[in-house]
Amino acid sequence: MTVTTVVEQWTEQPLVRFVTQSGARLCVVMTPAGQVLAQHGFTRAVDLMSAAALGAAIMASSSALAQTVGEATFGALYHAGNKHGIHLAGCDTPRGRLVVLTVFGKESSIGLVQLFFDEFIAGLRQAAPVSEARKPVLAADFEDQLNSSLATLFRR
Amino acid sequence: MSLVNFTTREITCKIVYYGPGRSGKTTNLQYIYSQVPDDRKGRMVSLATQTDRTLFFDFLPLDLGSISGFTTKFQLYTVPGQVYYNATRKLVLQGADGVVFVADSQLRQLDENIESLQNLQANLLEHTIDVRTLPMVLQYNKQDLPRELILSKEELDDALNFRDAPAFPADALHGAGVFETLQAVSAAVLRKLSDTGAGARR
Repeated sequence: MTVTTVVEQWTEQPLVRFVTQSGARLCVVMTPAGQVLAQHGFTRAVDLMSAAALGAAIMASSSALAQTVGEATFGALYHAGNKHGIHLAGCDTPRGRLVVLTVFGKESSIGLVQLFFDEFIAGLRQAAPVSEARKPVLAADFEDQLNSSLATLFRR
Repeated sequence: MSLVNFTTREITCKIVYYGPGRSGKTTNLQYIYSQVPDDRKGRMVSLATQTDRTLFFDFLPLDLGSISGFTTKFQLYTVPGQVYYNATRKLVLQGADGVVFVADSQLRQLDENIESLQNLQANLLEHTIDVRTLPMVLQYNKQDLPRELILSKEELDDALNFRDAPAFPADALHGAGVFETLQAVSAAVLRKLSDTGAGARR
């Protein structure tokens, strides 16, 4: 089943179009810290949180490695498996740097993913809002609820 | 920076356990993992060497449940403590909303604790984060060891706690102090989010 989840709404349209055009199974847009901003595709088979944390780590370490050999950054990374391949790349947008993890199977290819990736990034850059007013999040009395949640979590 | 989804009313925060090698950062996460029910935690990912020393990081996603109407999720990370892994330590620190500094209470480890704390400050500065503004909690681990081998909470406060941050004696292997540490850092992170609100992510 195809699932779409978006934290920041502006990512949705370019993301869904990219997955449809490239034939990818799953695409995850995340922050460089590994926090998922949007996902679209067959997410059930993938532990998304771990995949995002590991994807962000790979991007961060390859960028650091690039700097040690005198490169500003490496481009996209591609790993091929028996059933699935992954494409991992970073991009700068008005909302800061993003990392994109794309998982594709035999119905697609690295060529197709690369073909539509630049268009996807251009779409993200165009859709990204430049700034946003800060919004209040938690009520002042959140600590009682937090303590109760943690106590439940630790069965206290 | 905390990620807030106002549509689905979800908050995601990143907490990093920092400290010198073998101070008990991974042990903290392992204890938390062992205590939390399956439906409230994700898979614990450990990128470790063959001898179980952390090579890159450990990662544990936790679902704290609903707080002020927001489903609140915490992503717990550890860094590799060994001195020569500073490059990876710096990467893991990126985007942290709060830090738990896990100190080794042993007297002979005091210099390593101080060096690691200075290293934390330097790495935060490289991410343009002022250590004074980042929610931080200290944990003095291994307090179960014989008295003659360890420093007391007061002595460790004098040596390490220059910000007067919340500090907890702990025995992470058996769980003492682990819950209190997580509770304090969670509260500090959410308090900052409550004070500043959620805005543009850069």
